[in-house]
Amino acid sequence: MSCFEGQLASWTAPALARTVDSSQTIAQLVAEYSTALYRVAFSVTRNAAEAEDAVQETFLRVLKHESRLGEIRDYRVWLVRIVWNIVLDKKRRAKTRPEGEDVADHARTLPSGDRPAEATVISSQEQARILAVVDRLPSREREALLLSAVEELTTAEIAAALGTTESSIRSRIFRARRELAVLLEKEGIAR
Amino acid sequence: MNPESDARAQAVIDAALRRLGTADPARDFQGRILTRLAAERMKRDVAPLGSPLFFRLRHIWRATGPALYCLSACLIAGIVVAGSVTHSHRLHAAPFGGPPVLTLPSQGVGAASAVHPAAPASTPAPIGHPGRASHTNRKGRARIAPHAHKAPGVALPAPAPDSQN
Repeated sequence: MSCFEGQLASWTAPALARTVDSSQTIAQLVAEYSTALYRVAFSVTRNAAEAEDAVQETFLRVLKHESRLGEIRDYRVWLVRIVWNIVLDKKRRAKTRPEGEDVADHARTLPSGDRPAEATVISSQEQARILAVVDRLPSREREALLLSAVEELTTAEIAAALGTTESSIRSRIFRARRELAVLLEKEGIAR
Repeated sequence: MNPESDARAQAVIDAALRRLGTADPARDFQGRILTRLAAERMKRDVAPLGSPLFFRLRHIWRATGPALYCLSACLIAGIVVAGSVTHSHRLHAAPFGGPPVLTLPSQGVGAASAVHPAAPASTPAPIGHPGRASHTNRKGRARIAPHAHKAPGVALPAPAPDSQN
């Protein structure tokens, strides 16, 4: 190795070490949060392929900003915010209701053996109708309700992701459920 | 809504949300994400010529790029300031050779807007000579000379007794 290349190696060694570190961090983030992010995305898209695309895009953005990984205080909230923005942006661009909503697709992603209790309460068709009613709620209430459905997220994390307070999130969820119950009653779903 | 139907509605909502919030991705989801990330990283990091030298140079450029931008900006600013100071010194060092000579254009818009030098001062009238005020009356009224040329047949007012002075 020439003197020049040796000097180059000494200069670039810290940058290469950082690259290795950040790739390990990203792999850990994928292992830890990908399922939760998938659920967040799926709550909006209702389509497995689109939700998976959104999660992949989320991690691509993380890769793009890997130099800033050390500055992030709460990875979960940060990632949820990214994937939330991605799915909302996609939905806005599509300018339609969740078009990918597919009962068969939904049923495939939810093995019936895992959820016997819910399967007895509502069928897949009922589920699709309920979610269609959910889409008629005001956006703020709907967003809080959908994020509250994701098991991994606490109210504080939902509030941080949506940029509001916990009490606001609680009241939005309460209003959303009350309004949804009325709409379901009108639709004859909850009888 | 009665309590029974409300309870039923809440149960339905709970069930729907639980289904939505517990959806599981297809098998090997994480593997696909990691594969795509690795492909993206390779695409990003591989140098155009595939040479480690280019790879390293790019890393060096990333690290030192902002510093080089600042340095070149400072250099340009220094050149501008030095040039300005040199120019200013050269102007001050030039000998004073009298007032600048104006070449006035004789016609056109330039002639109207040009700086015109003041006209030379007029010679004062000799003492005792009335100058331009000689034709004016002390009382401020115009005086008509008796021999003023007039059209025939036009009557003239009689001159005032004190106008003979």
